[in-house]
Amino acid sequence: MPVTARRLVENSVAKVNEEVAVGEDLAFQRAWWRFERIVWAFFVIIIVLDLGGAFGRGPMAQAQVTSANHSLSVHYERIERAGTPSILSVKMDAGAIRDGQATLFVSDSLVSGLGARRIIPEPASTRIGDGGLSYTFPITEPPFSVRFELEPPGAGRFPVEIAAGPGAAAVTAVVWVVP
Amino acid sequence: MQAIFRAFFGYFFLVLIVRVVGRRPGRQLTPFEFVLVFFIGGLALTAMVGDEKSLTNATCQIVAIALAHYTMAWARAKSRILARLLDGTPLILMETDAMGRRVWRTETMARMRIQDTDVMFSGRDHGLKTLQDIECAILERNGDISVMPSSRSASRGGGDRRCR
Repeated sequence: MPVTARRLVENSVAKVNEEVAVGEDLAFQRAWWRFERIVWAFFVIIIVLDLGGAFGRGPMAQAQVTSANHSLSVHYERIERAGTPSILSVKMDAGAIRDGQATLFVSDSLVSGLGARRIIPEPASTRIGDGGLSYTFPITEPPFSVRFELEPPGAGRFPVEIAAGPGAAAVTAVVWVVP
Repeated sequence: MQAIFRAFFGYFFLVLIVRVVGRRPGRQLTPFEFVLVFFIGGLALTAMVGDEKSLTNATCQIVAIALAHYTMAWARAKSRILARLLDGTPLILMETDAMGRRVWRTETMARMRIQDTDVMFSGRDHGLKTLQDIECAILERNGDISVMPSSRSASRGGGDRRCR
């Protein structure tokens, strides 16, 4: 039969004046209360930052970049949340239209990093190359806008280049995705 | 792999939250605290599971949480410092001062958000009828309030005990 390990019972819990053994440590508890106050202050800061959009989905997260000749502007959220849908919209004016068509170039990161799932309106054609995708839209009347529905699969920093055609000057929208 | 890290993060984050939210008498969960338990549980579930609804993911996350809990319990048993950090120490709520008067520890009561009615609840549980029947009251690490009967009630079967 195996031997059961035993140890004598000692007064290991603090006992004062032969009274009830409580084991209170008020100095430790006061230090803990100080720590709690710091944690609560930190929580309040987190909530305020979140309301402001520092973690996405708020005013601080909204951003816009415009090309030098103002023919193209991009509205997006500079801070996105992983697995959360959002919209990136590109507005183009007459300067971006040639022969009744507008070509929009977006870099690969829009699909691979930010998880572009759908384009509204549907492009007439799509061409792959130059490190991204070029969409062609038939246009009757400028200005017009293209919306990309995004749902980033994971966290990270994703710079997205957007241009009115593969050779045109690009604007860069830098998007941070939080977990 | 990401799901395992999410499970570990969720576990340790909730341990911190529950510790910071504070001890309340265990059998006195108010409706507010029920809301807290279910709401935090639901929100944590959403973030932990994400869009991975497979049985494999659920199994791995449950195993990860079990492992985290076992490790925490093992470390807690090994380290008194960690045990204090995780559970705190018992706290005296009511005691007998040098002049023999029974006094409330108002700082402890306020910081632990405990009222005299919570102590009386525990007193009634021990068959004590009024606060005068309580010699001292202690908030235990698990949130229970232990009460020691006063000498007044000792004549009715209690003992004469003081706590400091």
